[in-house]
Amino acid sequence: MRAAAAGFGVAFGFLLSWAQATDPDRIRAMLLLEDPYLYLMLGSAVVVASVGVRLLRRRRARALVTGERLTWDTVRPARRHVVGSVVFGTGWAIADACPGPIAAQVGQGFPWSVFTLVGVGLGVWLALRRPFTRAVLPGPAWGTAGQDDGRGSAAERGATVAGDG
Amino acid sequence: MSELLLDRPAWYVAGPLIGLTVLGLLVCINRRLGVVGGFSAVVERLTGRTGELGWRGAFLLGVVGGGLLFALLTGGFGRSGGYGWLSRTLTGDAAVLIGPVLVGAGVLIGFGGKTAGGCTSGNGLSGTAFGSPASYVAFASFMATAIGVSFAIEALL
Repeated sequence: MRAAAAGFGVAFGFLLSWAQATDPDRIRAMLLLEDPYLYLMLGSAVVVASVGVRLLRRRRARALVTGERLTWDTVRPARRHVVGSVVFGTGWAIADACPGPIAAQVGQGFPWSVFTLVGVGLGVWLALRRPFTRAVLPGPAWGTAGQDDGRGSAAERGATVAGDG
Repeated sequence: MSELLLDRPAWYVAGPLIGLTVLGLLVCINRRLGVVGGFSAVVERLTGRTGELGWRGAFLLGVVGGGLLFALLTGGFGRSGGYGWLSRTLTGDAAVLIGPVLVGAGVLIGFGGKTAGGCTSGNGLSGTAFGSPASYVAFASFMATAIGVSFAIEALL
């Protein structure tokens, strides 16, 4: 299972690099609406994946490595999805890189990206500290959907969409 | 080989291949592709929350390896000097600020992505492909924010 995950990781990192999604100036051109390339790339990726997912659902397919029936949960929106994404989007626009490209940049040997990588680790660590997260995001933001987010358990049980990406 | 890799492929080549990566991970191990989850697995391992890196950590290491493979094939490992608008704006003595700004941006990316249950890959790519309403909301929220903040930075420079 880990070998398969690593293999798809290599493919993903390679494709992000080839598409130059690891170039901060390319991301900047995307976010300033100067270059449609990355929107078209993301959009066509979503179309291909969602068509495939629907075909697999119809065929009641099983996973090749683990043999379990393919499942993916859908999650109801909660406040954490909005607040978290606003915080995320701000960081993305400053660094002009999001987690996939940051990891691939480090692989390509971008010296500066080590700083971003360490920051992402720190940010995830803060989010894993529930008292801190509750202080920043009080109230009912932590709906049932995200109850065990951050422990990895949802993802490990196979409730993959409720887990973290 | 490296000639072909120096130009980015057409979007209708790169996009579907990335879509197939999402599908491949689902078909093989029944999991949702996402990179913040990989960072989380590493942090959980380092802080003793879990005993092993699991598939998510393996995926993240793979992404780093994919970048390395690309750099080796194109002969471009570590060649990049500057870093986007930050190196163009923070010049001279101010260049010492680039590192701290990137760490700070990384903290926002990591905290926000983990809180929202996914980043551009987990929510924007996989979650939307799986038809998860929370991912549509997350995708709309981070795109609108990132575009808005980028225009704000551009206006301030």
